[in-house]
Amino acid sequence: MAAKMMGPGMGMQPRIILLKEGTDTSQGVPQIISNINACQMVVEAIRTTLGPRGMDKLIVDSKEKVTISNDGATILSLLQIVHPAAKTLVDIARSQDAEVGDGTTTVTMLAGEFMKQAKPYIEDGINPQVIIRSYRKATAFALKKIAELQVTVKKDDPVEQRDLLKKCAATSMCSKLIAFNKDYFSEMVVDAVMCLDTYLPLNMIGIKKVTGGSLTDTQLVKGVAFKKTFSYAGFEMQPKTYKSPKVLCLNIELELKAERDNAECRIDNVKDYQEIVDVEWNILYEKLEKMVQSGAKIILSKLPIGDVATQYFADRDIFCAGRVAQEDLNRTVKACGGTILATVNNVREADMGECELFEEIQIGNERYNKFTGCPKAKTCTLILRGGAEQFIDETERSLHDAIMIVRRAMKNDSVVAGGGAIEMELSKELKSYAKTIHGKEQLLITAYAKALEIIPRQLCDNAGFDATVILNKLRQKHAQGEKWMGMDITSEDVADNFAACVWEPSIVKKNALTAACEACCTILSIDETVKNPNSNYKAPSAMPGM
Amino acid sequence: SGINAEYVEKCLEILESLVCYTVKDVKCPDEVSPVVKTSVCSKQDGYEDFLAGLITDACMKVMPVQRTFNVDSVRTCKILGAGVLSSTCFRGMVFRRNVESDITCVKDAKIAVFSCPFDIGTTETKGTILIKNAEELKNFSVDEEKLIENQIKDLADAGINCVVSGGKVGDMVLHFANKFNIMVVRLMSKWDLRRVCKSIGATAQPNLVVPTPEEIGFCSKVELDEVGDTTVVVFRQERDETAMSTIVIRGSTDNIMDDIERAIDDGVNSVKIVTRDQRCLPGACATEIELAKQLMQYGEQTAGMEQYAIKKFAEAFEVFPKVLAENTGLKANEVLAKMYNAHQGPEDINYGLNLEADTPEVMDCMERRVLDPFLTKHWGIKFAVNAANTVLVVDQIIMAKQAGGPKPRKGQADPDDE
Repeated sequence: MAAKMMGPGMGMQPRIILLKEGTDTSQGVPQIISNINACQMVVEAIRTTLGPRGMDKLIVDSKEKVTISNDGATILSLLQIVHPAAKTLVDIARSQDAEVGDGTTTVTMLAGEFMKQAKPYIEDGINPQVIIRSYRKATAFALKKIAELQVTVKKDDPVEQRDLLKKCAATSMCSKLIAFNKDYFSEMVVDAVMCLDTYLPLNMIGIKKVTGGSLTDTQLVKGVAFKKTFSYAGFEMQPKTYKSPKVLCLNIELELKAERDNAECRIDNVKDYQEIVDVEWNILYEKLEKMVQSGAKIILSKLPIGDVATQYFADRDIFCAGRVAQEDLNRTVKACGGTILATVNNVREADMGECELFEEIQIGNERYNKFTGCPKAKTCTLILRGGAEQFIDETERSLHDAIMIVRRAMKNDSVVAGGGAIEMELSKELKSYAKTIHGKEQLLITAYAKALEIIPRQLCDNAGFDATVILNKLRQKHAQGEKWMGMDITSEDVADNFAACVWEPSIVKKNALTAACEACCTILSIDETVKNPNSNYKAPSAMPGM
Repeated sequence: SGINAEYVEKCLEILESLVCYTVKDVKCPDEVSPVVKTSVCSKQDGYEDFLAGLITDACMKVMPVQRTFNVDSVRTCKILGAGVLSSTCFRGMVFRRNVESDITCVKDAKIAVFSCPFDIGTTETKGTILIKNAEELKNFSVDEEKLIENQIKDLADAGINCVVSGGKVGDMVLHFANKFNIMVVRLMSKWDLRRVCKSIGATAQPNLVVPTPEEIGFCSKVELDEVGDTTVVVFRQERDETAMSTIVIRGSTDNIMDDIERAIDDGVNSVKIVTRDQRCLPGACATEIELAKQLMQYGEQTAGMEQYAIKKFAEAFEVFPKVLAENTGLKANEVLAKMYNAHQGPEDINYGLNLEADTPEVMDCMERRVLDPFLTKHWGIKFAVNAANTVLVVDQIIMAKQAGGPKPRKGQADPDDE
């Protein structure tokens, strides 16, 4: 690495400076070990959140905002980890969140465990490249096995499919704060996702939070709901309930304002002056008139609707709301039909939307506008209630995870049994596969198989059971061929998780394994770290020796 | 002093004689892919088969008939999620953007590209609109709307159903685009705009006029899709000779994806090299050992002190198999012995190091299709020799440093001292 320059026979060797002053480098096997240890610490931080008996973490960030969460990706991103290698773990949790939505704690734990199992082999001097190759082989084998073991539920039977989705959602919520109401919520989540169109866009499910009430007061609106926006005088006189109204969505500011900011009026006499003032008012009135003529009863706009307009509409029994958020407006259009107009000339029938019922209701402390019974209803809104703000935030995250799971399950509908069952089965298969390979790879694939057992082990630990006893039982059952045996939380014993309806979409496991293996291989292949002195990283002095 | 130019000449001569294989048809994926595989192998062990296949596929799609291969024709797009093995490649382009309009999918798209903002035209000069009476004021915005509507209507009448804009898309214009069922995509970068033009065969318009039929681009399908968590706009081309292909890279962390992108870059460059010079050398250090052996023989035949220099030059090539062996976990000396043993006859030039075995073993590179492009080695040797010569000729280094002595008082810092 350092260039050797031979002086011309002089005694003094010039000092060789290769990198900037203050650069920190460390290399070799101790470096890999220290990276692995750093990743272990990350895993320690979140291992207790796994499973139905998992606990949550409370994190206060630099802005003194409090977050309580069970979701691995959220916790890891809030921890603001500075160790460069450990940041990889944060990245894979994020990618699991993006791709699947759930299983973020699982993926981090798997990655950490793979590395822990590899540690003794590295210390013994096995080349990391050999380990990486064997791990990749093992992952490929495991993915193939999952494809063989997974159970596809037929899509053409809607009742069965709905059942499948509910079970997946329930399993996902099992480990979160809302576990006690998981039946209520899984029903709601499946309803919500079912009303989306083929692309299943996530932003078509609106989530609104209102403090107050209890968790079970949460409601699903099959349509759109949003908070009442700022309104001018005259608002109180507008009716608050409409049956079968026509809805007009605009992108115009309905206010007396200059037509053009850089325009100048040059007039010759006083009469013209009055005319100009009148014309400005008339422009506004004409717009309003056109809207009334179109037959719309509800007018929504992204830009403000001024008091003149509000009064005008109130006199004609028309409801209006300005400063509606962009995504709420988009959802309204998706639900009720029509388009967002930028001009009121030539408003066609097709440009307006319609719904069965519109009302403004009081929810908790806020007033909400609710559109229900929309014919094109490809969106829905969840209104979350709860005691504390943190509580509602966590509910939102859990519901987000469940919604993502259901979406994934709809796109590829194969499931495997959860509760550690699939991991034990893969572990067993990998161990027998390892025995057919000769060379160092045999040892490493066995290590990989052993690492997979961490999931059921952690589930037991979190629940307070004796992990050794239960794992023994599981190994025995799997060796006897019962492939869906996993942990049963309620009976402190093992049970057939497939029959017990503890299901997970197979893509969660596939993605978790892929991501964990990639992260592990990346970290194992690093043998030197160079830290640039310009970064503000204050290394704790114990780091290289850890 | 230094390495004489003759030795380099001799070396390169020998190199030419070691060519074991010539790619006959650069359009055939099977011929090109071993070269790509070797290049990717050293960056991403484990994924080389998959990535080599992907890269070759992407390059074949844009291999031009007459002109030279342009590496810019193969783009990459990184999307977080899934794993590296879910990466795909296809003809056309992918952008991580959302569409502006309501329409999200157009088949058989006729595309107009505008490098200006897709908005009401404004003048650069500061001007004031002069309104003379009330009538004009009233009709002002109505007229403006009519003007825009006509412009968009003209676009729609020309058959255009998709617009790509390099600048902001105005609300009013968007409204009419939605009315006439035109899909609108906004691209942020000027370079992306140019690439799209190249890919679909369009010419970018600098202002909002209807393009002539030659300036309109064509694309089989333009649609909004979701990959992982990201919405992307896909311009898909199904016809045969396309200008661009895109590799969508998936991966579980940003680092991995960046690395794969670099590996793909190297792979695409290998393909370019092979189109320039189709000769290939055996890989896995077979060439290096053979070079070392033949140069050593040449050295023995040379008279004078130069004999030593040439022999050392030959020995230098042994560093490759040594390092490769050590990195794999094999013993360097055993490896060298085995390789020299295998290179005894003049036909045995193709034996290279087999890295997949646990003990040092040689394999036939031609059989196992481990090939390196000729130009890579050729230029590598030339450049290395140049660099070594430059350093060897130096016999004294003089470097400026902070001198000793009393420090200058603060506030009177001499600009020369900075």
